[in-house]
Amino acid sequence: MKINRQIEIRRCRPLLGTFVEVAVSGIKAASLERGINAAFAAIAKVHRLMSFHDPDSDVSRMNREAFPKSEIVHPWTWEVLETAQRLAQESKGVFDIATARFLASRGYLPRCGYQPDNAATWRDIFLRKNCRVFFRRQLVIDLGGIAKGFAVDRAVAALRASGIKAGIVNAGGDLRVFGPISRIIHVRHPAKPAFATGAVRLCERAMATSGVYFARRRHRGQYVSPLLDGCTGRSAWELISVSVAASECMLADALTKIVFALREQAAGLLRQYRADALILERNAAPSWRFNSSCDIPDRTQFD
Amino acid sequence: MKSEFAFIALPISALVAPSTFAVQYLTVDQAQRAIFPGKSLSATPVKLAAAQRKAIEQASGVRVLHDDQQVWRVSGGGWFIVDEVVGKHEFITYAVGLNANGSVKQIEVMDYRETYGGEIRNEKWRAQFAGKTTQSPLKLDKDIKNISGATLSCRHITDGVKRLLAFYEVALKRS
Repeated sequence: MKINRQIEIRRCRPLLGTFVEVAVSGIKAASLERGINAAFAAIAKVHRLMSFHDPDSDVSRMNREAFPKSEIVHPWTWEVLETAQRLAQESKGVFDIATARFLASRGYLPRCGYQPDNAATWRDIFLRKNCRVFFRRQLVIDLGGIAKGFAVDRAVAALRASGIKAGIVNAGGDLRVFGPISRIIHVRHPAKPAFATGAVRLCERAMATSGVYFARRRHRGQYVSPLLDGCTGRSAWELISVSVAASECMLADALTKIVFALREQAAGLLRQYRADALILERNAAPSWRFNSSCDIPDRTQFD
Repeated sequence: MKSEFAFIALPISALVAPSTFAVQYLTVDQAQRAIFPGKSLSATPVKLAAAQRKAIEQASGVRVLHDDQQVWRVSGGGWFIVDEVVGKHEFITYAVGLNANGSVKQIEVMDYRETYGGEIRNEKWRAQFAGKTTQSPLKLDKDIKNISGATLSCRHITDGVKRLLAFYEVALKRS
């Protein structure tokens, strides 16, 4: 009997403002390469549609034109907006894509040419039929992390459609594992990000981690970061990290932002989405772990 | 096989050791085949004159650290360039494929290595990577394959590509 040897191919490209890695395993190198190219094509498409920096993206067009007119967006952008609005409602505005004006004023995003309404929130975004979006006030949205999670989900779909049975897509820490092989995912140390502090094992699941360690900086005498509580407009500054595992990467990413702001109070929402969460304190000690998936936690041995 | 959301802390010994995260994705040869499959490439290294370096810096707004640039001409048009960038947390070697008209065809990260800022800016530490893209591939860290954490920006590569596009205008376009 001829035994086909499993091979793994791993590639990395700069996309979505970060490093996107796709690793797949299978038997034929040529079909793995085709799948990888399809996955990167899907990510590049999400990048084109949802980049804040590209003036031709759906996001930039909405920020320019959805107030006072309305704008038609791509069904993919629509899907992300729908999820964002649902989570905004469920988190009572802690998750809010309309807070990009804070990011611009703190230097994390370029300023736009107009004056956004300071009272604007997610409640001023209206999703109408046929992918039409209307803003009730002049506002600035940024799909940042949630679009990154969505891109990972699209890449996994593209890999599956190309006949790839197992792999992982990791967009700068937002990742998704698919196929029969489980994978060990290391988590960065919240205060020393060049070091891994521990790991979890994932199978057919997505995980996202949020922390401020790469982005934190001083602004008017205080530490600021791009991680915001939509209700208060305050940015997180503590060197902690939040990891969330869920069925989809888009959900996992959005839920990390909510857990960052609400901590234990996010348990209800995590349960609703059958998500798991882990908060690591500055010294890397896990201060809160929440398990709502039906998986039995089992210890994994490390050498 | 099920998912296990049990967080396993690493032993302190693993934390103390400088466990840098490093991956080699592609060798030069593999990167050439990934970006220009089926094409033949001929090495045409470029050494920049001071005036050229200044022109590139002015056009791109990015500093040129090395006068030597590894370049290959692609049969039937196009260029393949290997370049490296150093960030606060990362040291990256990457390849850029340019179409015959100078537009970017594809970018592939070849080597990715993370470590602490101080170490990465140290000349002696950096010297160990000299010439690595042609002969000796980096030793791989087998322990950490996948890592989750806050997003690390790829701004240095974006700047690097900006610099290479200016390099194309100055040094390759008319050759």
